[in-house]
Amino acid sequence: MKGKRCFQTILALVIILTFFVGTWVYGYEKRDGKKIIVYGERQPAPNIDPSQFYDWSTRMLQQSLYDALLKYVGNPPKIVPWLAKSYKKSKDGKTWTFQLVKNAKFHNGDPVTAQAVKWSFERTLTLNKGPAWMLVDFLDKAGIRVIDDYTIEFNLKSPYAAFEMALPWWYVMNPKVVMANEKDGDSGQEWMKDHSAGSGPFRQKRWEHGVLYELEAVENYWKGWGSPKHIDGFIYKIIRESASLRMGLEKGELDAVAGLNSDDFDAVVKNPNIYVTNDPGWTTFGLKMNTQKGFTKDINIRKAICYAFDYPSMIKIYNGNAILEDSPFPKGMKGYIPCPNVYRQDMKKAKEYLAKAGYPNGGFELEYVYVSGLEEERLIGLVLLDNLAQLGIKLNIVPLVWPNMVARASKVETSPDLTAVFTTPILNDPDVVAVQYHKMSWGKYYGSHFYQNEKIWDLIDKARYTPDWKAREKLYKEIQTTIMEDAPELFGMLYNRRWAFRKPVKGFVFSPVRLTSEIDIYPLYIED
Amino acid sequence: MRRYILKRVLSIAITLIGLSIVVFAVSRIAPGDPAKLAAGPDATEEMVQVIRKEFRLDKPLAVQYISYMRGLLKGNFGRSIRTRHQVWEDMKLFLPATFELVFVSITFSILFGILFGVLSAVYRDTWIDHSARFFSVTGVAIPMFWLGIMLQLLFAARFHLFPIGGRLDTMINSPISITRFFLVDGLITGNWGVFKNALSHIILPAFVLSFPALASITRINRAEMLEVLHKDFVLNEKAQGISERLIIAKYALKNALIPTLTMIGLRYGWMLGGTILVETVFDWPGIGYYAVASAVYSDFQPVMAVTIILGLNFMLVNLLVDMGYGFLDPRVRYE
Repeated sequence: MKGKRCFQTILALVIILTFFVGTWVYGYEKRDGKKIIVYGERQPAPNIDPSQFYDWSTRMLQQSLYDALLKYVGNPPKIVPWLAKSYKKSKDGKTWTFQLVKNAKFHNGDPVTAQAVKWSFERTLTLNKGPAWMLVDFLDKAGIRVIDDYTIEFNLKSPYAAFEMALPWWYVMNPKVVMANEKDGDSGQEWMKDHSAGSGPFRQKRWEHGVLYELEAVENYWKGWGSPKHIDGFIYKIIRESASLRMGLEKGELDAVAGLNSDDFDAVVKNPNIYVTNDPGWTTFGLKMNTQKGFTKDINIRKAICYAFDYPSMIKIYNGNAILEDSPFPKGMKGYIPCPNVYRQDMKKAKEYLAKAGYPNGGFELEYVYVSGLEEERLIGLVLLDNLAQLGIKLNIVPLVWPNMVARASKVETSPDLTAVFTTPILNDPDVVAVQYHKMSWGKYYGSHFYQNEKIWDLIDKARYTPDWKAREKLYKEIQTTIMEDAPELFGMLYNRRWAFRKPVKGFVFSPVRLTSEIDIYPLYIED
Repeated sequence: MRRYILKRVLSIAITLIGLSIVVFAVSRIAPGDPAKLAAGPDATEEMVQVIRKEFRLDKPLAVQYISYMRGLLKGNFGRSIRTRHQVWEDMKLFLPATFELVFVSITFSILFGILFGVLSAVYRDTWIDHSARFFSVTGVAIPMFWLGIMLQLLFAARFHLFPIGGRLDTMINSPISITRFFLVDGLITGNWGVFKNALSHIILPAFVLSFPALASITRINRAEMLEVLHKDFVLNEKAQGISERLIIAKYALKNALIPTLTMIGLRYGWMLGGTILVETVFDWPGIGYYAVASAVYSDFQPVMAVTIILGLNFMLVNLLVDMGYGFLDPRVRYE
């Protein structure tokens, strides 16, 4: 009897609680009549200082809060003048002169002048952090000259063909605001990590680290808005699980998401309230092979591996949303050519090369290292394991956390036989990819092949300093085919970049030069 | 008693120093160059040196440790090499979220664990006992990660009864910070909207986090109650005509609580460690995810801070548990 009463009490409590909770409503996208988009992604952006950080989540917010002289737009990415009205370079490619627009204003109303541009570039160069590596070899503070309030000149130490391509990531800050918040001579670094001093289309509203970042549209943005239905606000919400992102989107708590796994993307596309974009990206996936140590030192073994691999299986792993690489450069990038000497599975050739290396029946072991947690990399490793087993080669698949992988890749002695690596070119210039095969990339994760070919290094240097594009184009053609021939890497695939949006969200413009899940918020609008 | 507490506090201080040395050593001898990681994948060697110098990584390990501990004594937990945030500022953001979740979870586990344990023992071999035993075995066996996702799918995605994750709805601003516990702050400031919203967000993660502890407490409390209920003093009380409810609630339960209290102390520590899974599934902005993200990037200052703070907290809770023995059993003496 007592037990029954107790059970009834508990049941009553549960019913009351369920009723109580169930009456609440979740998921808003409007506040005071303003239309706000909620974007879900996994990666936080703990530091938005343009002189200190530039990873994709940071850059997405920086792009909204700040403006740069130039901006990347569309696919293939074009450089369009932004704070600059026009610009020209000298014949020797060393002097670049920019005319600024006169109506650009920082969020506090101060005009964006050549002095502010100079100060911003000087700050990034002095701090020598974040994006500084892009220009630090070519530009020093003495080379920046203010001609008048709206004209600025950059005198490079040596010609650098990709100079203009780097400029979209060098944002212009308001020196007055930054220096007003300087502490102990830190150039405002402490303050700028979660504050902004820009002139971009959005300003900060709510900043809750580890939870969300809210931006509100600057109604009288100096550049104007592309659509009268532009969004009034944008919330970047941190959601760490693909399953939660999918649930949030389907439930309407989120209006746009990135970072879903392939199966979740394929599932949400069936939802009538959701659409999914699907564009070939520039993020290359390859297996870097240590060319200076172990079995992979022998070019014949590297070629045997390249011929043994079942390339189309990678497309299957991505549910068909990927294309195979046929060059060290991503398809669509300036200077890209499909290499005639590309490798595809041919077990007969693989065995020939293995015999040439003196191991006709294999009989040795290779190590395949990938970033733990990246399921696609693990599956690709399993495919390779199966392929190499047919040659009598044993593959040892080793997951490593990112710091350990970077540490292993930093020295010839420790660099694995095969390292699974994704790389996204940050600029639309072939130099940024070619340089991965230059000695200067040794020690970096994408240089874990320790590829040595002095002729290629000279060509990369020459192409880098040649101002004339036609001359460069020829050089890059040779660079691509030679690298393919030397096989320092098993060139894999380029996976499609996908985002899922709820139907009313329009205006998304894909640009492959944007990293991972980065989108340009400025053109987004809502169609009810 | 005072002497006992003093001795325990001293031993806590020594343990903390030992803990800090171990964590510092482990985080610094692990492979990977924190400066290189923090500088970014494309950074030049000069850029890496800038970071190394800024964070004094160019100094010998012993100097770095002493400098860290000196800062710690002044309440300075250092700066994150990954985000450049002051670690203490991050702690103030993320710790209350974890403590709020753990506090609600442990309260839930204690209340229901003891209740189920008592009911199970009193109604031994009835459907109540069988249900409680099934419940407790399931609680220990089910992985928290899986349970979390299943509950999300059922109660959040399917029936829309609870939100999917987070501490508050996206469009709701955090309450005025007093205790940084949203439930408490919502109550103190009379902001019922925030209180209700925070409550709806905490129910699922707190249930998932409390499940294993609830199961353990139920099992141990049941076993102890069964033993106590067969002791002579209970028979004596029954013979004296004391009501059964009073015997169970006051005399038997009090005697059965000592091992349960030990289990609560242990479970509290496991809960703090287990928050990472729950925080990941429910996007709970707590210290667990923060610690793991820092560890993955060899960001040693936050890792040190989290370990020291959670370690200290665990030791203090266990001190309280030890003191609780005396309250439950006057025969316990502290020396």
